[in-house]
Amino acid sequence: MTDNHVLSLAQQLSSRALDWLHAAHRSGFGALPAGAAVDPTDPDDAYKPIGEAALAGSLILRDGVAGPRGMQAAQEMLDFGWRQLRSGDLLYERQLRHTLLTDPMETYVHFVRAGYRHRALDELLGALAGLRSVHVSEMLPNRRLAVANARRTIGIDQPVDWPALAAATWLGALPEPWAVDWSTGYDITHTVFHLTDWGALPDGLPAPVAAYLRDWLPVWVDIWLEAGQWDLVGELLAVDSCIGEPVCGSEPWEQLASVQHPDGLTPRDADPVDGDPGTAFKDNEHTAVVAVVAGTVTLARALGAAAPPAAPAPA
Amino acid sequence: MPVAEPSLRDEYAAAAERVAGRALEALRGLGGAVVPATPLPRAELAAVRVLGPDVFAPWLLSGTGEPCEPAVLETAADARVVFPAGVPNGAADQGTSALAWSDWAVALLLARARGPGTGEADAPAGTRRRGAAPAPPEPNGPPYRGRWHPWSLRMAHLAPLALPVLDGPVHDAARRDALALARGAVRATLRRDHRTAARLARWLAWLAHTGAPCPVEPEPLLSALALTGDGSARTHLHLAIARRLSTGRRP
Repeated sequence: MTDNHVLSLAQQLSSRALDWLHAAHRSGFGALPAGAAVDPTDPDDAYKPIGEAALAGSLILRDGVAGPRGMQAAQEMLDFGWRQLRSGDLLYERQLRHTLLTDPMETYVHFVRAGYRHRALDELLGALAGLRSVHVSEMLPNRRLAVANARRTIGIDQPVDWPALAAATWLGALPEPWAVDWSTGYDITHTVFHLTDWGALPDGLPAPVAAYLRDWLPVWVDIWLEAGQWDLVGELLAVDSCIGEPVCGSEPWEQLASVQHPDGLTPRDADPVDGDPGTAFKDNEHTAVVAVVAGTVTLARALGAAAPPAAPAPA
Repeated sequence: MPVAEPSLRDEYAAAAERVAGRALEALRGLGGAVVPATPLPRAELAAVRVLGPDVFAPWLLSGTGEPCEPAVLETAADARVVFPAGVPNGAADQGTSALAWSDWAVALLLARARGPGTGEADAPAGTRRRGAAPAPPEPNGPPYRGRWHPWSLRMAHLAPLALPVLDGPVHDAARRDALALARGAVRATLRRDHRTAARLARWLAWLAHTGAPCPVEPEPLLSALALTGDGSARTHLHLAIARRLSTGRRP
């Protein structure tokens, strides 16, 4: 059973990060530039953060472990993002133009998880899923899992060989745990997130992979804590809860809570936070999302949140 | 004078590197004696004391059945007389505790090399008991209190005990908490703490040598550490002993 101290820290970290994210969105940060095109110059600039905030909001609504204020903030962030995406039209137009791009679907999925739907996009994604081209496009193995999980959540009926997809990842090979690096750390976390649908399906991870993670997560958390890589530590703590009973203890949660600012800004690393609020948002919004996800998944798994309902069929 | 002690320490450290280098060459089958003919300079004697059971490694791992070099036996016994152990200052004093375990191991190895019934005379003060084997300084080995990180560091200091023939409470602890040892080795490797990584990899190789389950394959780790090591003879000696334990082949 998860330590009460860990649960208290997870709740604190998550609710503060959500407060900061919500306040930032109310201040206008995270909005697309006026007249945003289907082909943004830099998709990572605002388009990707909208999807990330939607992920955090959708998990809060799915798992239902936040208080009424948190639930309302989550809903408002999702509404904000959906408006920015012109109620999904922007995603539809981008997907229509770029058959092989997966980011429209990977953004859409978080809104679907929270009950939003775009009829034409559903129809388009269903049609594209029947193309051989879509299934053999070149991508990293953990990215292929992201696409498969998005299709699963959206309700696109496609046979998926999950064990084969898992085996193709770095993590699935159970490699030498001392031969990991920072970037691979994120490959590991995303492999787990997609196989378990962000902690909802802990059994989605092959048992040997779960055992491997229980052995080595404490080491990886320890070294990236020492390096001040708070963003990656947060993702690894989320993984710790996705795979069952957490093994990393309360110390990393204490350290993350200790670096979080009073207003909830959660720094991505040990570097000084930029004094410009816009830059500070851009630099640290991902880590706030990570803190919300880690706290939510940890609380949900410990409190036995019900498995998410099957995705409704596209209208 | 404030400079006297550091310079003596430097001198002893350099001697330890020399003796470790000779042990390494002997282990690799390149010939030469681990300990040159006596009388040894005081620094060399101190080095033998520092290396403890590792001066016996070429003999233990040669697989030839040849007796141990008489100079090694004589010097190992003399070193403990010239540099007697301090009084252990509780479990927290890792250096003193590691030295006590080193003395225990050297006494056992001297007894084995000289034949049955000779161990008691060589046992360090406070650990003597009836019979050939001296009593271990801590009857239960280093206590493991659920924190793999500090425990693995403590075991790293005890890596010279990871040799064939030696078995006792520290070895029981290694078998019992193999995962904690492996986590420590992985952590040290990722932190580029080569000496600690080599010492803990040696314990993992010892586990493999005894047939005990090992959470990390020692061979690839040893190869990586040999390529990225800190260049010291002592670290290379740990790795060479580990490789010999792991594969049975000459490093």
